[in-house]
Amino acid sequence: MSRLEAKKPSLCKSEPLTSEKVRATLCVLKGILTSSYGPSGRLKQVHNGLGGCVCTTSQSSALLSNLPVTHPILKILTTSTKNHVSCFSDCGLFTAILCCNLIENVQRTGLTPTTVIKLNQHLLRLCTSYLKSESCGCRIPVDFSSPQTLLCLVRSIVTSKPACMLTREETDHISALVLKAFLLTIPENTKDRLILGKSIIVPLKGHRVLDSTVFPGILIEVSEVQLMKILPIKKSDAFKVALFCASLSGDLSDTGEGTVVVSSGVSLENAVLEQLLNLGRQLVSDHVDLVMCQKVIHPSLKQFLNMHRVIAIDRVGVALMEPLSKVTGTQPIGSLGSISPSSYGSVKDLCPAKFGFKHFLHLIPNEAIICSLLLCNRNDTVWDELKLTCQTALHVLQLTIKEPCVLLGGGCTETHLAAYIRHKTCNEPESILRDNGCTQTQLQLLTEAFCRALESVAGSLEHDGGEVLTDMKYGHCWSSQAESPSVVNWPDLLSRCGCGLCSSQEELGWSFLKTPPHPTAPQTCLPHEAIGSSNNLTLDCFTAKLSGLQVAVETANLILDLSYVIEDKN
Amino acid sequence: MAVLGSAKAALQVTEVLETILSRCVGPEGRQVLCTKPTGEVLISRSGGCLLEALHLEHPIARMVVACVSSHLRKTGDGAKTFIIFLCHLLRGLHTVIDKEQDSLVSKNTHTHRRHWKNCCQWKFISQALLTFQTQILDYIMDHYLSKHFLTIFSSSTKERTLCRSSLELLLEAYFCGRVGRNNHYFISQLMCNYFFKCMACESGFEEVFDLVDDYFVELNVGITGLPVSDSRIIAGLVLHRDFSVYCPADGDIRIVIVTETIQPPFSASASEFILNSEAQFQTSQFWIMERTKAIMKHLQSQNVKLLLSSVKQPDLVTYYAGLNGISVVECLSPEEVSLIRRIIGLSPFILPQASSQYEICNTALVKFCKPLILRSKRYVHLGLISTCSFIPHCIVLCGPVQGLVEQHEGALRGAFKMLRQLFKDLDLNYMIQTSDQNHTSSPLTYKDSRESNPLPEIVNGLIQRPYQGTVVKNKGNLAKTQTYLKVYSNLVVPSVELETCIPCSTPKVTPTDTYQTNETLRCLAPTKTRTIDDNEPFIESNSANSTAENTGIEISSENLQVTKIAGKGNMLPVREKSLEMCTSQSYCCSTLPAGCVLPVGGNFEILLHYYLLNYTRKCQQSGETMVSMIIANALLGIPQILYKSKKGKYSFPQIYIRTLRALQTNQPIVSSQTGLESVAGKYQLLTSVLQCLTKILTIDLVINIRRHPREMYDQDSDEEV
Repeated sequence: MSRLEAKKPSLCKSEPLTSEKVRATLCVLKGILTSSYGPSGRLKQVHNGLGGCVCTTSQSSALLSNLPVTHPILKILTTSTKNHVSCFSDCGLFTAILCCNLIENVQRTGLTPTTVIKLNQHLLRLCTSYLKSESCGCRIPVDFSSPQTLLCLVRSIVTSKPACMLTREETDHISALVLKAFLLTIPENTKDRLILGKSIIVPLKGHRVLDSTVFPGILIEVSEVQLMKILPIKKSDAFKVALFCASLSGDLSDTGEGTVVVSSGVSLENAVLEQLLNLGRQLVSDHVDLVMCQKVIHPSLKQFLNMHRVIAIDRVGVALMEPLSKVTGTQPIGSLGSISPSSYGSVKDLCPAKFGFKHFLHLIPNEAIICSLLLCNRNDTVWDELKLTCQTALHVLQLTIKEPCVLLGGGCTETHLAAYIRHKTCNEPESILRDNGCTQTQLQLLTEAFCRALESVAGSLEHDGGEVLTDMKYGHCWSSQAESPSVVNWPDLLSRCGCGLCSSQEELGWSFLKTPPHPTAPQTCLPHEAIGSSNNLTLDCFTAKLSGLQVAVETANLILDLSYVIEDKN
Repeated sequence: MAVLGSAKAALQVTEVLETILSRCVGPEGRQVLCTKPTGEVLISRSGGCLLEALHLEHPIARMVVACVSSHLRKTGDGAKTFIIFLCHLLRGLHTVIDKEQDSLVSKNTHTHRRHWKNCCQWKFISQALLTFQTQILDYIMDHYLSKHFLTIFSSSTKERTLCRSSLELLLEAYFCGRVGRNNHYFISQLMCNYFFKCMACESGFEEVFDLVDDYFVELNVGITGLPVSDSRIIAGLVLHRDFSVYCPADGDIRIVIVTETIQPPFSASASEFILNSEAQFQTSQFWIMERTKAIMKHLQSQNVKLLLSSVKQPDLVTYYAGLNGISVVECLSPEEVSLIRRIIGLSPFILPQASSQYEICNTALVKFCKPLILRSKRYVHLGLISTCSFIPHCIVLCGPVQGLVEQHEGALRGAFKMLRQLFKDLDLNYMIQTSDQNHTSSPLTYKDSRESNPLPEIVNGLIQRPYQGTVVKNKGNLAKTQTYLKVYSNLVVPSVELETCIPCSTPKVTPTDTYQTNETLRCLAPTKTRTIDDNEPFIESNSANSTAENTGIEISSENLQVTKIAGKGNMLPVREKSLEMCTSQSYCCSTLPAGCVLPVGGNFEILLHYYLLNYTRKCQQSGETMVSMIIANALLGIPQILYKSKKGKYSFPQIYIRTLRALQTNQPIVSSQTGLESVAGKYQLLTSVLQCLTKILTIDLVINIRRHPREMYDQDSDEEV
C-alpha cells in the first residue's frame, strides 16, 4: 500500500557550490584524501560505531567504500573515483585530490562556468596529447627484456601503501613475488592474441610477510583428515583429471513441470545412487586419478572412488572452476551418464603441501598460466591492505603490457605537466583564445588554477613539514627536509627528485611551488643514461594516470556546471 | 477545500518552473543534479526529467507536467521551451486582462461575481486560442513561414538522401541543449557516425530510425569509470551477458535461436508420469540424455557453432554443447531475441518431435562470435549479417559516473525520437474565410465524391495518418512539372508548390518490388484510354484502398494515374497555390514536407512573431487579434533567454531589429549561430502549449480532496485478486 502514498515534493537548491556547508564538506573530504596520499601518507582508521571490523588504510578504494557521504555533490566525486579505481585499481587518490583542487581553485577565480568548462577541456586536451606524444618528457618506455622498470613500478605501488606496514626488506620481497606471479601468468607460446592467465591470492594470516611465496598451478585447501585419506599419492608421470560442474550429491534433478507419481517400494534415491556408482565405475575404468566437483559428491561415491585410489575433492566452488579447467585442460562435465573421453584433462604432478596450519593439495600443471600467490601478513587488517596492494600491482602490470610505457612518479609528472601547460598557454595563446572565445586574462587565470591544482597534488606527497620545490630545467618535483635553514645552498639539501631520475649535481634553478612561477619550457629530453642505470625509480602506471587525469577534469567540470540540486525526499 | 482556479495561480506556478528551467536552456544552459530516493544520482539537463524529479504537489503544476510529458512522448524535445513559452503566454494574458479590469474598476462588483465574470472571459479567450491553433497557425505556417524553411536532405539528387553536414548541424544544436557543454560536440559526432554506419543504403534511413528507437536499450552499453571521450562505436551486436560455454570458432559460423530447454523435461506440464520401477526411472534418464546428445550432434552436423537461448539450459545441454564445439549464450531477454530476429530474419529453432525428423533447421550465418571485455566485464560480441537496411552497430557510452552515462543515453534516445518525428510529413489544414482565393480545378477535384462527405470531420480524423508523398514527372508540355500529390483516402490534394520553399527536396517513393511496379503499369494502361468522365470507378477503388490500410506503394500508383489523366487533358494546375475546396467551405490542406529545418537561435520564434503581427493588422475580429498579439509577444521570450548572456552586436534587441529589417526588405536573414532545428518539432510544441493553456483557462475551480485515491486502490486490489 506504500506506493499509494502521495510523494513528497523534492527539495530544490540553486547554485549548490556557493553554499558554505558544501564548501566545508568538500574541504574536509580533501583533507582526508590529501593526508593519506603517498608513501608517507597518514593512515586512516575507519570504524563503525554500531559494529563491524575496523579498517586501517590509506588506499582510496578501501577509504571511499567505507566512508559514507550524503551530499549529492560529494557522492558524485566519490563515485567517480570509485568507478575509476574499479577500472584501473591505481591512481584513485590522485584523481580525487586533483578533482577537489580543481573545484576549489576554479571557484576562487570567479569565472563563469561556460568559460571554465571550455578552457578546462582545452587544457586537458593539451595534457593528454602531450602525454601521448613521442616528445613527452615524463614518460618512459618499458623495456621488457629487463625486469628493472617493471620491478620499480611494482615497488612504487607497494611503497605507496603505508598501511601494509612493510619493512624495506619485506617490500622488496613482495615486489619481487608480485612480478614473478605476473610473469607466470603469461603463456609461453601465444598465437595472435595474448590471453593472460590468472594469479590466485591464497590467504595465510598470522605469518611473517617473508614467508609469502608464489607457486605455479593451483593450491586447493583441503582438511587434514581428507589429506590423510588421500596420502600416499601414487607416483606417475601424469595424473588424469575429471572436473564436474553438475552436482554428484545424488539429489533428484529437476523433474519437469508435470507430476511424478512413484509406486510404493520404488526408491528413486537408490536409482540415482546406482547411476552415480555406475559413473564411478566408468571413471575408474577410464583410469582417472583425480575427481573434482564444484558441488557436493555423495559420500558413497567418494568412498567408492577412494577404494579405487581415485582422489575425490568436492565443494571446489564456482570461483575456482575456470582456473581449474584452464590448468588441467578439462571440460567441466555436466552429465551423470556417459562421459566423453575428450573432457578429461591432466596435471603434471600432484602433491600435498602444508603452510602454517593449513593443508593444501598442490596441482602442478604442464603449462603454467595460472599461479597461486600465498600471501602472508601478521594480522587481518594489514593482510587485507596487502592483498589490495598486490591486486593493484598485478592489475597495473596487466595494463602496462597493453600500453608499454610508464610515467614518472613522486610528483614529477604533475609538476612537469604544469610547467608544460604554463609554457604552452603563455607562448601560444592565440589558438586557444580563438577556439574558445575568451580573453587573455581569463585564460591566464584559469591556466594558473589548473596548474596549481596539478602542483598541489604533487605537494600533497609531502607530509612531514618539508618544502616542495620544482626545478627550472626538467620541471621535476623535489622535496626538502623539514626545518631547513632559510638561506641555503639547495644542491646540498636536495639529493634526488621525486621520481629519482635527476640528481642535484646539475645547476637546475629551484623555486618553491608556492611562489609565482616563471613559465619556462621544461626540457623534454630526459637524462637517458639515468634511466638505464637507476634501479630505484618511482614510477606510475601510464594508463591509470592518464585516465585518472581525464576523469578528474571531467568530474570537476560536471560539478562546476551544476546550477541546481534536486533532492528527492521520499 | 476548493480553490478558485485562476490564471494567476497558473502564472505563479509556471514562473517558478521557468526560473529553474531557464537556467538549463540552450547552449549556455547548466546541469542539474537529481537524487533518487534510492540514493542514486542523476545528472540531467532535460526538462522532462527535471519536472518529474521535482515531484510537484500543486494541482496546476501537475497538470502542466502531465501536458509536458505527453508532448515529450510525441516529440522527445522541447520540455524547457514548453514551460518558458507557457509562462510568457500567461504573463501576456494577465497584463491584457489587468488593463481591462482597471478600466472597469469603477463598477465595484461583488468579488464572487467578478470571479465568474473572469471565468467567462477566460473561456472566451480559450476558445479564441483554440481557433487560433486550429486555423490561423496553420495558415501562417503555410503561407508565410514556409518560404524560409530549409531542408535536411541533400539537394543534389531527387531521391531523399540525408545530407551529412546538415544532420551534423541539427544534432549538434540538439545536444547543445541536452548534454554538458564539453561533451555536446563529441556526442553529436558519435551519433552521426553511428547513424551513418548503421545505414545500409541511403534510402533505408527510416527503418534504421525505427529500429534504433525501438531497441535502443539493447543497442548500447554503458560503462562507468572511463572518461567520456572513450565512448565509441562497435561493429556488430553486443549482448549484455557472457557466454555459458565458449568454443573459439572461425570460418562458417551458424547460429540458432531456441526459446525452450533443449533437454526434454522429465515430465511435461499438466501430465502425470507414473514410475513403477527404478529401472524405468533410469531408462527415462538415459533416454533424455541420449536425446539431448542427439540434438546437439545434429546441430553440430548443421555447422551450428552458437546457440542463443532465451531460457536457462540445464548443465547437460551446456556440457554437450561444449563437447560439440557449440558456444552457448543463455537467458537472452525477449527484446534481444526479437532484435536479433529482426536483423537477421531468423525464426527460433523448433525442437523436432520425433527423433528422425532432423532436417528442418533454422540457422543463420554470422561473421564472428567472440567475447568482448569492457571494463573487466565480459560481453558476447556477434557479427550478425543483416538482412534488412540496418547494419548492426553498438554504442559504448563511457562516463565517470552512472548519472552522466544515463544522461547521454537519454539524450541519444531523445535525438532518435526527434529525428523520427522530423522525417514525417506534417499536415497543415485551415479554413479560408475569403472566397476570392478559391480556385476551381475541376478535373482534379472529384466533386461528386467530395460533396457526399462531411469533409471537416473526415480530414481531421485522417490528418494524423502518415502517408507517402510522391513526385510525378509530368511529361506533358508544362514547364514546371514538380508537384506533390497527396492522397488522403479519397482526397487528392496537391500541396504548395515547392520551388519557393525547398529547392529540390522532393521526396520520392520508388516501388521497391518489381511485382508492384508491374501492377502499377497494369493499372496505368487502362486509365490512359479513359476520359475524365470515367473517374467514378477509379474513385471507388481509391476509397476501397484507403479503408483497407493501403500501403504507400499503392497510393503512389494511384497518384500516377491521376496525373496521367490530368496531363492528357492539359489541365493540371501546377503553378497554383493549390487550394482544395469544397463547394460549401473553403478548406485547405497542405503539408510541411519531411525534413524541414530552420537555423537555431530563435529564428522560428522571431519569424512567427513577425508574421503574426502582420496578420493581426489585417484581422478584423478583436478576440483573434488579441490572442495573436499575445502569442506573438510570448514567442519572443525564448530568444530572449537564449541571448541573455550575449552582448553588443549579438544581444537580443540587436538581433531582433536586424531580423525584422531583413524581413521587411525581403533580404535573407543572417543567423549568428550555426545549427539547425526541426520545424515540425517547433510546430508541435506550439500546438501542445496552446492546448495546455486552453486546458488551464477552462478550469474554474480546483477541489482538493484529502482521501486516498479510491479508484486506484480498487483497481489494484482487483489485480491482486
